[in-house]
Order: sequence, then structure tokens, then C-alpha cells
Amino acid sequence: MIPVFDTSCPVAGRSGEPVGAKLAAGTRPRIAIFSLTGCEGCSLAILELENELLDVLGAVDIVNFREGMSERDWNIDIGFVDGAVSTPHDEAQLRRLRECCKTLVAIGSCACLGGVNTLKNAQPQNEYRGYVYGEAARHFPTADARPLSAFVPIDHELPGCPLVREEFLRFVKCLLGGRPFRLPSYPVCVECKRRGNLCSYERGQICLGPLTRGGCDAICPSYGRACDGCRGVVSNEALKAFGRNMRTQYDVSLSDVLERLRLFGAFQESALP
Amino acid sequence: MLDGIISHQELLRRIDALRVERRLIGPVARVEPECMPPVRYFYQPVERADELALDFTYCVQSPKAVLLPPAEPLLRFDRESGKFRAGPVIDHTPTALIGVHPCDVHAIELLDAVFSNGNADGHYLARRRSLFIVAVDCPEPCTEGVFCRDMETHETDRGFDVILYRLDADRRYGVVFASDAGRAWLNPSLSSGGMRTPNSDDERTFIRYRQNKERAFEPRLPMPRRELPEMMARSYDSLLWEATAQRCYSCGSCNLACPTCYCFDIRDENELNGGGCRLREWDACMARDFALVAGGHNFRAKPGQRLRHRLYRKAAWIEAQTGLHGCVGCARCDRACTAKISIVEMLGQLAEEVQHAGTRP
Ligand code: SF4
Ligand code: SF4
Ligand code: SF4
Ligand code: SF4
Repeated sequence: MIPVFDTSCPVAGRSGEPVGAKLAAGTRPRIAIFSLTGCEGCSLAILELENELLDVLGAVDIVNFREGMSERDWNIDIGFVDGAVSTPHDEAQLRRLRECCKTLVAIGSCACLGGVNTLKNAQPQNEYRGYVYGEAARHFPTADARPLSAFVPIDHELPGCPLVREEFLRFVKCLLGGRPFRLPSYPVCVECKRRGNLCSYERGQICLGPLTRGGCDAICPSYGRACDGCRGVVSNEALKAFGRNMRTQYDVSLSDVLERLRLFGAFQESALP
Repeated sequence: MLDGIISHQELLRRIDALRVERRLIGPVARVEPECMPPVRYFYQPVERADELALDFTYCVQSPKAVLLPPAEPLLRFDRESGKFRAGPVIDHTPTALIGVHPCDVHAIELLDAVFSNGNADGHYLARRRSLFIVAVDCPEPCTEGVFCRDMETHETDRGFDVILYRLDADRRYGVVFASDAGRAWLNPSLSSGGMRTPNSDDERTFIRYRQNKERAFEPRLPMPRRELPEMMARSYDSLLWEATAQRCYSCGSCNLACPTCYCFDIRDENELNGGGCRLREWDACMARDFALVAGGHNFRAKPGQRLRHRLYRKAAWIEAQTGLHGCVGCARCDRACTAKISIVEMLGQLAEEVQHAGTRP
């Protein structure tokens, strides 16, 4: 889970050290991409980079990529993982990946926050197993959906549903150039204002932009849709302010607020006022 | 005193003539069915004068973006054949900004001062020198909640090339010039038509226009503008900052919507081939990490400190530094704040506090 900072630390990559620090100098980094429980849309979003992907491919060796190739190799410099941990099998996979990958990067809301998978956490297990697997349910053990960081240390997190292609590219460029990478520490509103959008609130919508981490270039508000918080909560202060404002300025109840925040698992264990 | 009178049709023709040499930017109306009223105005590039809504109320975003883009490359660098080269990016595109209300004219004057004093900013100044400004006066408040009259920015006599007064429903415009370029643009001897000299009826209408305007703007602050710095000086320890900031998201919308906020951040974008560019982007003093410095120290780590800082800048410090308005009363910050934190209300509350403190023995 992406750390929420109440202090002023801007570093969203856990260590703040240059991304490529663990790479041996002068070698081509060996990169792999894996999927746990999710739609694998993040891996696809990477394939959609097309032109830019060719530049990147020129500088790295892709050694393991379920969506893109079949050859497998387990000596990995940087492993990107999308999807949440939702079954015991996912957990075992993830622990193995942690051992094989010098740097482990969670990509997408499922891997960083739990994502839409976490909707099941609020339902009784036998119920959802029944309607997902039917008769065969007993052959498919499952557990609450959790982000990768709930199980193993994660070096970097690139949230978003799906991940933001431009951000992924920027991350890879930092990685290859040995420069530090940081997620924006400001909310979506900053990018929304830079784009000159009319605010969703003026249209009478409740937008989660003010408390959601920026970096998506405010794509949803730019197309007339209020933000649903897929990149996670930007700070505890903003989360608390949201609770207060919904109650005192908009007459929206706390349960409705939590409902909205739950969609992508953006609600983190912090207390609302 | 008016310099001339021009009809709506003539005006549009003259604006179209500007298009030959300049790109046109001005207020364009957009239907927004879910808004009240169901229309909003935005500064946008246009090809023809009749796309402009010269009777616009206010534009959602200020014209700041025309002079200080939300993101702009300052320089580009590359590493071709192993050699590092870097060069500035300067934008001289001739532009006409049509339809700037007085508050925003004052705001541009402030930006001019900020970017020319001390370290002159070549990027800003190149754009400014290529800009032709046609101001449009406001006969009445553009919307509820503005306090431009309190800030003395609801009128202006400088900082533009031409200002237009919409004198009546016939769309007869009174014209005043503030530059030779403006004068040349509407020169009455132009064969394509231009303005005519005002007659006594025009002058009477203009006097009536100004009387009506004076009545239309109600004061919204409890004190005149010149007393604001003194009031702020006595409000540093007010409890209002922390109390109000409890609801603040530190989202910076108030800064980014503000026509006088000019702070920016600079970062480098690097490409895989060793080239790249240095980007300047709008920043916001309300954002959490605005005052973060090397070593991880944030000298305004609390939202209340940031809110106080912003109001001091707007109501006292910018004016102390430049002699110009730090806030022009357009209330864009109030409209942008989804937490409904209002600068007008805060100034009112501080004034009350200070008065109370003053009457105590
Ligand atoms: S639409 Fe949403 S993200 Fe954009 S400014 Fe409004 S609240 Fe912020
Ligand atoms: S704030 Fe005042 S000067 Fe500015 S547009 Fe509105 S009425 Fe005109
Ligand atoms: S502080 Fe608010 S009212 Fe003053 S100029 Fe900025 S946006 Fe307008
Ligand atoms: S717009 Fe409102 S919530 Fe956002 S930083 Fe400004 S005062 Fe705070």
C-alpha cells in the first residue's frame, strides 16, 4: 500500500534512492512483467505504448512477460507486478517473485491498493465463492484481496486503473538513467486546473480529485466524469478534510463517502473524523 | 473621456483584421446544462471574431495561461554525437487577447512587474511583448461574490491596448486607447471602417454608464483595501487559520485558478537518448510540498500555515513588494475551492476579530 505521509516526505518510492541503484553498471537490465488477480489491463496498457515501447525494448531485455512472450527466465533485475493478492496461490507466487527480482514494482490499483478486487472483502466468503465458482467452489481457496505490500516489501508503486502509461514510461526512463522517481505528492485537482477543466463540483458532482493522488493528468474530469480515486488517497489530512466537508458542506453521510472510496480500495486504514 | 465609438459589426470586422497577423484568443461560451446558469465562458483560440462572446460574464480560468502556460519547456537539450547542447525555447507568437475584464488587466500588470523586476524572465516577456490586449469593461458585477470594487480593480485605465465600454443594448461600444498600437488598430481613416468620434449623446451615455456602474457594485469587505495590510499584521496568531484549514485539501485549486498567483516549479524531462527538456509548471503554495527543501524540512508543513501564508501574500505582502494588487477580487479562488473555503469570508472574519480585540480594554 502506498504510504500516506502526514509528515512532509515527498518520496513515494519507498527508499527515495535512484530507481536503478540495484543495477550493475553497464548491463542491460533484465525486466519481467507478471500478473496476479486482476484484469491484466495494466500489462496490456504497457503493450499499447507501441512506439515508445520499441525505444525501451532497445535498452532492456524482457525476460518474462505473460501477455507478450512465452520464454521464461527467473533471474530478474526489475519485476513489474499487476493484480492483487487474492488467493493463497497469488501469495506464493508473489513471495517467489520477491526472491527472483532485485527490484519489485507494483503496477496498477490492484497491486498498489487492492483495487476493485477488495469489493469482495466486505461480503461473506461463502457467498462470493458460490457465485463466482459455483459447484466447484471448494477447489478454489480464496482470501481477502490485499495489495502486494501487505505481504512483501515493494520497492516502487505505480497506481492507477489502469496504470498511467506516461508515468510508467517516466519511471522506466528514471530507471535506465539512474535518477530518482517520485509520484506526485499533490492531488488530481492540480492537473485538472492546469488543463483548464470546469470543475465537476460546478456540475453538482462529488469528485474525489481533491483527495486522490495526481499523476493521471486528470483524465476522468477532463472527459466530464468525476474522479473515483483509482490512484489512492494522497494524504490523511485530505481524507479527513473530505469527511468533514461532505458532512458539513454537502450533507453527504460518512457511509456514502466510504462507499465511493471503496471502489478502488482507495480508503486506507486512516480514521475519518 | 472616450476616444471613439464603434459599432458591434465594425468591431468584429476589425478583430477579424487582427487575425491576419495574430492568433486570436478570447471568451467562448460553452453550454453546461448541469450548471446554474447553464453556460460557462472559457478563453480559447478562435478563427473568427463572431465566435467570441464579448458580452461574457467571467471566464472560468483567468487569462494567465496565455502569458504563463500551465506547462512550458524553458530549454531543450540533446547529446547528439556525444556533445551536450542546450538552447532556450522562446515563444514570440503574435497574439491578440480579446475580452479581458478590468480585474484581469490588473492581474496582468502584476505579472508584468513580477517577471520584469530583478531577474527579467525572457520567456514571459517574449510572450508579453507579442501580446495585444483588448479589455472589456464590466457594467455590473460579473457574478455573485466578487469583490473587485473593494480591491479597486473593477476599473482600469492602463495595462491594455484598447478598452471597450458596452454602452447600450444596441451594442454601441465606447473606446479608450492606452497604446499607439491600439490607436492604429481602430484608426477612423481605415477604409475597411473603424470608429467614429464621440458626439455629445455618446458622452452623456458614457456618464450614465459610469453612474450606473458605481451603483451596481456593492462593497463586500468590511474595510477599505488600504487597511487590509494593517489588519493582516494583527491576525498572525488568529485561531482562524487552523480552524479553517481543518477542511482544506491542500489541493492548490485556489492558487491555480488565481490570476495573480505566479509561482512555478521546474523539472527536467529526460529522454532515453540523453536529450530532453527543462519544464516549468504552475505550482501552488497551498500544496503540501511547496515549501519542502533539501534534507526533508518543510517550513510550512501544516495546512493552517499555508492558508495563512496565502492570505498574507494576497492581502499584504505582494502589494508591499510591488506596489500592485496581490488580489484583484475576482473570487475565482472561492469558486474553485470545493471545500467552500472563501477568502472574502475569511477577510471578513479576521476584520471582526481585529475590531473585537481593539474594543477590549
Ligand atoms: S473536477 Fe475534481 S479533480 Fe478537477 S478540480 Fe474539480 S474536484 Fe479537482
Ligand atoms: S471581478 Fe469585477 S472586474 Fe473582474 S470580471 Fe467580475 S465584475 Fe469585472
Ligand atoms: S486571491 Fe482569489 S479573489 Fe484574489 S485575485 Fe486570486 S483568485 Fe481572485
Ligand atoms: S482550493 Fe480550498 S481546499 Fe484547495 S487548497 Fe485552496 S483552500 Fe484548500
